[in-house]
Amino acid sequence: MPQPDPSPRASAGLDRYYRAIAAGDPDAFGAWVAGAEPRVRASLHSFAQRVDTEAVVQETLLRIWQVAPRFQPDGRPDGLVRLAVRIARNLAISELRRTRLDPVELDHLIRLADEARPSPPPPDPLLRRLIERCRALLPERPRRALSLRLAARGGRSDVQLAADAGMKPNTFLQNVRRARLHLADCLTAGGAVLPGIPQPGGTT
Amino acid sequence: MSPPQGPPQHPPQRPLPPRHRQNLIEQAVGAWRPRGLDGAVRTHPAWADLSVTDRQAVFDETLHQRAIEAALDPDGLSSTGQAVLDRITRG
Repeated sequence: MPQPDPSPRASAGLDRYYRAIAAGDPDAFGAWVAGAEPRVRASLHSFAQRVDTEAVVQETLLRIWQVAPRFQPDGRPDGLVRLAVRIARNLAISELRRTRLDPVELDHLIRLADEARPSPPPPDPLLRRLIERCRALLPERPRRALSLRLAARGGRSDVQLAADAGMKPNTFLQNVRRARLHLADCLTAGGAVLPGIPQPGGTT
Repeated sequence: MSPPQGPPQHPPQRPLPPRHRQNLIEQAVGAWRPRGLDGAVRTHPAWADLSVTDRQAVFDETLHQRAIEAALDPDGLSSTGQAVLDRITRG
């Protein structure tokens, strides 16, 4: 197995988990995923209208787990994250070629993906407290629907979760939506800044 | 593993009833994704039925939702990260 680069720069940021991931440590991989996922997802912004980016992100992370033992750091920081971004982009492009997207439009999307975008902000330590406070203010059925979604860890479909909640699927989804909208309003009122939703002043 | 595969990419031409559209968006914002017989993560069927505008909304709202989920999780994992970790530890 190739030896990881011992240079100090290679251990910057998320690189500190590389050796353990390569050795098959799922806890180290989880810690790496927690830091890498927002960046991998954000890198797919230009493909959002053409590719199910959630599916791409999940497939990318699974592939990183598979290839980590063979990964060779190049001495620059966050090598595994950069690899993940490349894999994600290649998966998105493969999917677009499979669907026979117009080559001109495909080239345009690839150029957009190359444009530098600001990295997602680091997590706010006060955010959890604010979210918990907002969550406690949710009406009962939206709160229950959201709790079931969170507890499922992406492992159960909404049809299954609706059955767990004793709701019809459409009712369950409406309650999830209400929960998300309530949370967004409450967090905005509390001054939270989160990616993806426009903030006052026009930033996202 | 093959790239995510699923329903056709061309969004529908007729506008969807608002509530139906909202439900599709909610499904696509969730982290659950079907798997192919080869284990590959597949496109959510609800996503394929959305307009390009709504697909963009799914992307933006998912960014927001995953940030909330990660903030709530003791290990900082969103539901996406949890789904992937569960897959590698449980199969």
